[in-house]
Amino acid sequence: MNKKKGSFSRTVTLAKRNVLEILRDPLSFIFLLGMPLLLEILFYYLFHKMTPQFEMKYLAPGIVVFAQSFLSLFSGILISIDRNTAFLTRLYVSRAKAHEFVLGYTLALLPVTFLQSALFFLVGGILDPSIWSARMIPAVLVSLLPAVFFIGCGLLIGSLCGERSVGGVASAVIAGQSVLSGMWFPLDGLDGGIVTLMKALPFKNAVDLVRSVSLGTWDGAHPAPLFIVLAYAAAVYALGVFVFGRRMRAQ
Amino acid sequence: MTAIQTRNLRKEYKGLVAVEGLDLEIGEGELFSLLGVNGAGKTTTVRMLSTLLRPTAGEAWICGHSILSEREQVKGLVDISLQETAIARKLTVEENIAFYAALNGQSREECEKTKRRLYEAFGLDAVAKQRASRLSGGWQRKLSVALALATDPRVLFLDEPTLGLDVIARRELWQTIRSLKGKMTIILTTHYMEEAEALSDRIGIMKAGRLLFVGTKEELFSRTGKKRVEDAFLEIVCGGGDNE
Repeated sequence: MNKKKGSFSRTVTLAKRNVLEILRDPLSFIFLLGMPLLLEILFYYLFHKMTPQFEMKYLAPGIVVFAQSFLSLFSGILISIDRNTAFLTRLYVSRAKAHEFVLGYTLALLPVTFLQSALFFLVGGILDPSIWSARMIPAVLVSLLPAVFFIGCGLLIGSLCGERSVGGVASAVIAGQSVLSGMWFPLDGLDGGIVTLMKALPFKNAVDLVRSVSLGTWDGAHPAPLFIVLAYAAAVYALGVFVFGRRMRAQ
Repeated sequence: MTAIQTRNLRKEYKGLVAVEGLDLEIGEGELFSLLGVNGAGKTTTVRMLSTLLRPTAGEAWICGHSILSEREQVKGLVDISLQETAIARKLTVEENIAFYAALNGQSREECEKTKRRLYEAFGLDAVAKQRASRLSGGWQRKLSVALALATDPRVLFLDEPTLGLDVIARRELWQTIRSLKGKMTIILTTHYMEEAEALSDRIGIMKAGRLLFVGTKEELFSRTGKKRVEDAFLEIVCGGGDNE
């Protein structure tokens, strides 16, 4: 039988398989949806009257990006398992190309992150109806940018690490998002050095970007968060594609 | 017609020669077994011929297409069942077949036909709705081998297909492989001498990357004076046989 099929069809076929692999892992639901949702509800109820940091208008965009950081873990694990078992090797005999594999992983995760963002804004709106706004729609859409950064991290980690070490390395990305984004604590009174670092990394900028769009404070005259997130997303994703391709050829 | 032809094929990994000077010709529809101890170069050979590995030197053709310059055409003609079980573990048996068939260009109707064909050949209908990860090792192995047939290749590489199977499952798989004889060219690598004896049209024996013998069972017996493939294999490998 001839193996004739377009690149797009192969990519969609790969993406469908990846969606099933992710959705059938109960841990995906716990870490990508359940745990961030629980944190959103708990932190809002416990702290929103004590500190403005946890008012829903600030908390929901932060939770959206925090939950996305787990994409690096799940995409990393999936790629690493595929790479380290013979499964991916078998697929290399097909006509699928490296970029189709990479797009297959990415396309599988974008709907997941869309669902994350929509859910956390929706629940935020239910808990605090004052945040309901049409701006939630562009905020959900713009949150796909940091998602690409985290998927790129997963590509890179999954291509470089073995199945056992993926968790540890991806945890560093999740911890980076948690600690260096400023979403859990106010930055006032912090040492200038750490604030400079936070401003140079994508974590805080990702939260600032989604927050500013959802709050309607986005100012085209100060586009730094957008450009920084875009630059990191493009660089990490491109590096992930490059390393994955090299590994594929080496295998 | 010649299905596989290699000329002075060589593979070297950082100074370690895995395959050296391989000259081989396999006819269309033939079932050819490659025998050899661990590290003999069997897996490297089938990986080169199935486009998974690039040779360091030499050339090979699959149904007249070069594995170096016509890789895309070769990919459309071959499939491989790897030594390791290669399946999508969280997909069901049915989904695994549909996924692999679709990835290789089959329409929905063709996928359905492929499913029915493989269910029948491997008895997979009994476990069609089960996730691959929940199957026994034997069923996982069957599925892994079955996937290689999903594309209905002209040349099929079976790298240690019965590794880890119990005796009954092994015999069942032999039966399936026998049923494929003549329909496609099959290259089988195995450690099990009785497997090669039961299934092969011709046998190749490799040692340290070199092909020491190629011929039929009868030629092997006549060359070594033995009456069992295992004894003849030991005679060739341990007795330092030369290229025929």
